[in-house]
This record gives sequence, C-alpha cells and structure tokens, in this order.
Amino acid sequence: MISRFLLAACCAGIAMGAQPPQKVFPYAYSQEDLPNGLRLVTVPTDYPNIVAVFIVVQTGSRNEVEPGHTGFAHLFEHLMFKGTEKFPPTKYNETLNRIGAASNASTSDDYTVYHTTFSREDLETVLMMEADRFQHLKYTEPEFKTETLAVLGEYNKNSSNPFQKLNEVVSDTAFDRHTYKHSAMGFLKDIQDMPNQYGYSLKFFDRYYRPEYTTIIVVGDVKVKATRDLADKYWAAWKHGSYKPDIPAEPPQEGPRADHVDWSTPTLPIVTVAFKGPAYSDTTKDTAALSVLSTLAFSPNSDLYQKLVIQEQRVDSLGASSPSSVDPALFEITARVKKAADLDYVRDQILAAIKAFQEKPVDAQRLDSVRKRLRYQLALGMDNSETIAQILSGFVALRRSPETMNKLFDQYASLTPEDVRQAATRYLVEKARTIVTLTGPEGGK
Amino acid sequence: MRLLIATLLAASCALAQIRTVALPGKSPLVTFRIVFTTGSASDPLDKPGLAYLTARMLADGGTRDMTYKQIVDALFPMAGGVSAQVDKEMCTFSGATHVDNLTAYYKLLRAMLLTPGWREDDFKRVKDDAINALKVGLRGNNDEELAKEVLYQNIYQGTPYAHYSGGTVSSLEKITLDDLKEFYRSQYTQSQLILGIAGGYSSAFLDNMKKDFRGLPENAAFHPRMTPAKMIDGTRAVIVDKDTRSVAYSIGFPIEVTRDQADYAAMLLVSSYLGQHRMSGGVLYNQMREQRGLNYGDYAYIEYFPRGMFLMEPQPNLARKYQIFQLWIRPVEPPTAKFALRLALYELDKLITEGISEDAFERTRGFLTKFVNVLTKTKRAELGYAIDSAYYRIPPYNQYLKAALAKLTLNDVNRAIKAHLRTNRLVISVVSRDGEALKRQLASEDPSPMTYNSPKPAAIAEEDKIVEKWPLHLRSGDITVTPVGEVFQ
Repeated sequence: MISRFLLAACCAGIAMGAQPPQKVFPYAYSQEDLPNGLRLVTVPTDYPNIVAVFIVVQTGSRNEVEPGHTGFAHLFEHLMFKGTEKFPPTKYNETLNRIGAASNASTSDDYTVYHTTFSREDLETVLMMEADRFQHLKYTEPEFKTETLAVLGEYNKNSSNPFQKLNEVVSDTAFDRHTYKHSAMGFLKDIQDMPNQYGYSLKFFDRYYRPEYTTIIVVGDVKVKATRDLADKYWAAWKHGSYKPDIPAEPPQEGPRADHVDWSTPTLPIVTVAFKGPAYSDTTKDTAALSVLSTLAFSPNSDLYQKLVIQEQRVDSLGASSPSSVDPALFEITARVKKAADLDYVRDQILAAIKAFQEKPVDAQRLDSVRKRLRYQLALGMDNSETIAQILSGFVALRRSPETMNKLFDQYASLTPEDVRQAATRYLVEKARTIVTLTGPEGGK
Repeated sequence: MRLLIATLLAASCALAQIRTVALPGKSPLVTFRIVFTTGSASDPLDKPGLAYLTARMLADGGTRDMTYKQIVDALFPMAGGVSAQVDKEMCTFSGATHVDNLTAYYKLLRAMLLTPGWREDDFKRVKDDAINALKVGLRGNNDEELAKEVLYQNIYQGTPYAHYSGGTVSSLEKITLDDLKEFYRSQYTQSQLILGIAGGYSSAFLDNMKKDFRGLPENAAFHPRMTPAKMIDGTRAVIVDKDTRSVAYSIGFPIEVTRDQADYAAMLLVSSYLGQHRMSGGVLYNQMREQRGLNYGDYAYIEYFPRGMFLMEPQPNLARKYQIFQLWIRPVEPPTAKFALRLALYELDKLITEGISEDAFERTRGFLTKFVNVLTKTKRAELGYAIDSAYYRIPPYNQYLKAALAKLTLNDVNRAIKAHLRTNRLVISVVSRDGEALKRQLASEDPSPMTYNSPKPAAIAEEDKIVEKWPLHLRSGDITVTPVGEVFQ
C-alpha cells in the first residue's frame, strides 16, 4: 500500500535561471507501444549492474465501482503472486530467489505497481516470468480463500495506527459517490467477505489485467533495443481488452462537513482539515499551484509550523498533501496536537493560515525558495535505478509517460505568486471542506 | 568491487588518525554518515534515553550561532536535513546534499555536530517528542514494533543493552540539559568517531572536514563494560495487554554470532532460508501465510532490525557487539494465536532437527550472493555498510559476504544451526487484548486445532495434527501480563 502523498512528495522540481528550462527528468528514454496497446518505457542509466522493472497497471481502488467489492485492486496485488501453470508459486519464488531479486508490489487509489530489482543478466528471466503471470495467472478457489486471509492480516497489522483510521473516515466523509470514498485497503466488511468472491475476482482480472492498462518501466543497466526485443518476445501475444469502468463523478460539495473518531487506546489528538481539490493536470496550473501552497503554508519552514511546532510547541507534527490523482481528490492538512484542549485552537490556526494565503500573494522570494527545494528534492531522490523507476511509476500511472514529470515542472516554472493565491481561493473554500478529529480515551471533543 | 575505502584506524595515542570511510565518485550528490561509536549502552544506569536525547538535540536543535528556525530555513531550499539514529553502540548522523550546495550544507552540519546551541526551548520540544514517541508511537500506534522492542528489552536483562534506546518515560522526564551536555563532552570524541562520506567531493574538502572534527576531545571519558547477556533459564512469555484487533509476536534469544564471526555467513543463510525479510519464499512465510493464511508475513533475523514494517532492506549503522536471533510473526487473528505460535516453534524445531537440504542450501546461497548487490545499490547504503565493516574490522561487505558464501558448505550451515539455534530458553513477546485469557491458553497443554475457510491438502492436515499439540513448555509462572501503559514507563 502506498499513500496518495507519495507522488506529491516525489514529483517536484524546476529548472531555474535565464536559459530555456532544462527538462527535469535528466535521462534519455525510449517510450514505445506494442500493437496490443502495452507500453514500454526504457531508461538506461549510468548506475551499473542493477536493473529495476516496475510494471504499472492503471487500476487501483478508484476502479472498484461495484458496491461490496472494495479492496479488490489491492487483493489482486496479492493474487498475482499465486502463480501459473508454467510457474507455480514455489517455482516462481525459487527463480526469484536464485537470481537474488528483490520483488514486491503496492496498490494506491489510481494504480497497482509490481516491482523487481535484480542484476542485469537476469532481465530476460524477469520479463519472461512477469509476462507469464500477467497473461496466465491461475489460482484455485481454496488458494484464493487463503490469500484473502493474508489481506485481512494486512488490515490487522495496520489497524493499531490511528492515522489509518483517520484517513478512512476523512475519505468516507468527504466523498459521496466517487470511489475515492474508500481507501485502497477497502472497507473492513468487504475484506471479511472476500473469501466468498472467487467468481468476481476472475472477472476483475479479466477486465483490468490487459495491455491497454499496463506500462512496463525498465530502468538501469540496460539497452533499449534488447529490452524491446524481449518485450516483443514475451508480451506480444497478450490480448487487448474492452472493459471501461464507469467511475461515478463526485457531485459538487454544497457545505462544510465534519466528523469525529473516538480511538480506544491512548493517543495524541489529531485533526485533519481537507478540501475537495482538482484532478491532476499538467496543462493547467492548479496541480502545481496547490503543491507549492502545501509546502509554503505547512512545511517545517512555514510560519504556521514555526508557530505551532517550534515556538508554542502545541503541535508535534504538521503537514499537508496536495492532490495529484486521476480524478478530483483532497487537499489535506493534518496536525497532531499535544493537548486535547488545543484542538480547536490548532484547527482555527490552520484555517487562518489558509485565509492569509487567499488574501495576499506570497512573497516571490519564498516561491523561488520552494522551487529550489523541489528541484533538489527530486535530484536527491533519483540516486539509484530503483528509485528513478519508482518516481516514474507515479507519473506513468497518471499519463503513461515520463514526459508527465517534465510537463508538471514546466507548470512549476511558470507559477506566479498570484497563481498560488488564486488556487487557494478557488479550492480551499468552506463549502468544499471536511474536518475530522480523532481523540483517545482521555477525550477532548 | 569499485570501493575505494580509506579506512584509517584510530589508536589511542596523541597522533591518532580520525577513522574515515570515504567513497569518492563522480555523482552530483554528496552523502554524509558521521558515526560516534557510543550509544544507549553508554547511558548511565539511572538515565536510560540519555544518548538518544543528546543525538536528537543535535539533529533537531539550534547551534551556538543559529536558532533551530534559522537552521530549518537555511536547509529548506537545499531540500536538506540531518537525521539521527541511536542504537546501543552507534549514534549516526546522516544527510545528503547536491554538490551545488555542498559548502553551505556542510557548514550547517558541522555547526550542528561541533557547536550545538543547547537551548532550553529546543530541549523541551525534543524531550516532549521523545516521551510521545514512547507513549503514543511505540505503545499506541504500532503493535509489531512494540512486540519487537519488548523482546529486545527482555532478552538482554542485566546488561547495558537491556533498556530501549529511546529510554523510558520516567527517565526522559528527569533528564536535564546538563546531563546531555555531559554526555556530549564525554562521548562525542575523536576516538569514537567514524567520518563517512561518499560522492562528488574533493580530497581537500575531506581534509578540511577531518581538521574540523579534530576540535572534538580526543578520548572518551568512559566505556561501558559489556558482558554477554546471561543465558535465559527457561522459555518465558511476556504479554503486553492492550485493546487491539489482533495478536502480534516476536520471539527470540541472544546469539554470539556477529558480522565478524566465522559463522556469520552460515547463519545469514539460515535466516534467509527460514524467513528472508519481507519476501515470499521463506519457510515461515510459506507455511504460515501462503499455506494457511494466518497473517501478512513471517520472517527470521540474526541482527537487530528495527522498523521492519516500513523497510524492505535493513538500515546500516546498527552494528553491535552482541546480536539476536529473532522470529517476527505478524499480527494473527486472536482465535488462531496459539496455533500460530505453535507452528512457528514447530518450524524452528524442524529446522534444527532436519537441517537444510542441499538444494535449499545452493538456492539460498545463490540468492544472497546476488542480493548483496541490491542491498548496497545506493551510495548511502554502500557507505553505511562500509562504516559497519570498519566497525567490525572486516573487508567491504560485498566482498566479505561473497567470499564467505563461496567457501560455505552445507555441513557448515547445519553445524551452525545446531550450535546457535534452540527451541527452549526463548523469550516470547506478545501484544494482545485480554492478556490474562491468552496467558491461560498458552499455559495449558490443550490442543489448538485450526479450521480453515477452504479445504487443505492432506499433507497440511496431517502436519496440523502435530502442530495443534506442539508443546510450548510454558507454565503459568513463566508468563507475565503487563498493561501497555506500564511498558517503557
């Protein structure tokens, strides 16, 4: 599972100076489509020996449109390790073991990604085995039922964290119709019912595990032509599908909402203030402006952080995430407060900080400082082939191309203080707001 | 191996060199790992958490000339930071910067480590954070990490490793700023320093850095006297009682095998075979999760591995004189808790009785020989491992492990299993609701049959008949139940 915050944290950077903007993704790459609709992105890097293969399926909890079936995209992340006739699970694992590969997968709102990192001589083995399971996954009903219990186990291991519960309630409260209403894990009642849904699981695989939903990202010590040849050899026979989900549009929110969570074990109180934001866009300024705003207003060098965390010491953590999802999603600010009595004060301080950004454009120097930070953040993150592939996968999930990253950075480059003010005024408004608080047994609400 | 490690080992004389691990390269990034070989094992007996608070104060506080706000503002455009990690024998300060910002970043890092500000308001914030990390973070938000740290606390009783590195609530409350200053003066010394740097810096830069750190006192004022952990007399279970959905286990005991010991490679292979961290294919993962759906995963370790639920690979610079053998059983549903424990111990017993097969030996050896490249795929990991190798006085880790694996035989592995592993004299750490009810269950010899939501192969059903009666050798007196509010108090 990864959070929707990952992309916001990773995807930022800007070229500065008088020269024409330099592309922030510094690697030459190849982007090719196979006739069946499968896309291959190959990025040779100068990090020796290691190769990372990230396979992005544009199917996440967003695609779970039928009631009672939340959590299926994530369940599939598990089922994909159940093997095929050619590579039953034991043989699959033994092969990964033999080649010393690190392999895993994760699911978020918009996509599921399967990733393997290994030595360069094993590229063919990995692409062959991945092709096999994406085309010929086979699992029995008993195997399916057992795996649903591992998913319940995953829910259980997360369940002692109050932030998990808070996130669930924020989404459930803020959304009425869109599938962002539920988390990628899904509703607990649906997870508990999963063992009875074998037939539905087959349908889900048939719909979404298709080449038109899938992009293979290969990064590292590789050659473009040889990688394409391997893709043709093992993936060309995969059949294009026809299913398109009818994802319900979220109606406009007509007034502020609020909820509260009583947590049964001791915790510091937490408050989340969320607003309905826009869908990801790299052709307008909204996504970039809100991302910059989240840093300016709520990161450790913001005035609010300095006041609440460093000077007054009423809050021990404060942060914000801006939306970067396929469909309109939430801009969220979360603060953990040291004393329950301060919860309302902290909420009001957050709202006051937003109001200040709506009233007055931010200082241009501070905007430049954020741009600089975002650029170096990206450079520091891309220090090995696996991380480069991971950062790319978030962009590929949105628009199926590494160019997405460059386009977003172009938007960052063009932002003015007034753009940031306008985004705050347009989106961070009372009628689109949801506030959820969480307190432990000591109470406070 | 492309490592260019200049390791200059310090001797305790006036002309001692500062130990330096340097990995120069063409990268546009520069990574720092500055390690002091002191840690919570050096905490005074009545002040657990002192090493932790001191390191946090350096990393999260102001300097003599700059307030913390000024530090945050200066680091902000560089996307920089300095993080601190405190373990029993090492305090590590790490960070990275783009070469564009190297001079400015290093100036801040140097000031933070060499001329700390020791301001009361920073201290109050850092202390609050440390107390909340225990009360809310460890006790409240993460049952798995809680079970692990309760295990470590219990297996090292009577030694300087016995307390949690983050301290206890009551100790943190009474530690003063003067205590921190004294710890800093006596422990942050040249003789305990390893300077680690990797990436695109110049040799002149490194020379200047060494000169700067010569400003520290030469020798540490005292060294803790470490004694090996006493043998655990018999198997004990420690139940932490809290309101939670499921039951989390960590099981283990101290072992004498560390990275510099002859049996290290053999035992690493054993732990990988039994349960390679966060990977499918290990025996425990296969038997408990894949075959029986008991939980989300089950793994085995021969080195301390905190924060495993957030990490796919271990973090370096947790080197220790004494290590642990540990099984991590991720949370199980309460009705299956006793069976899950029995199954884990049954598998451990089977490993000790039957050993590893030739085929599994070759496969696991092949895996580790290649996987070590993945472990050191970033400069910061490579640097961290190189520092650990300097600590253990072994060659660069990749070379060292590959050479040791190449020489290893199946007999070495099966002999090492018998020499170092056991199923008795364990500590079983449990986080669960209704602790007293679980205690009664675990103390009874009653069978704990499993029921499944789907038919199982005959071999599994047969094995379950053995597992459901597997003796735990726990009597009521061997099991303690502690309310969660009392642990780390």
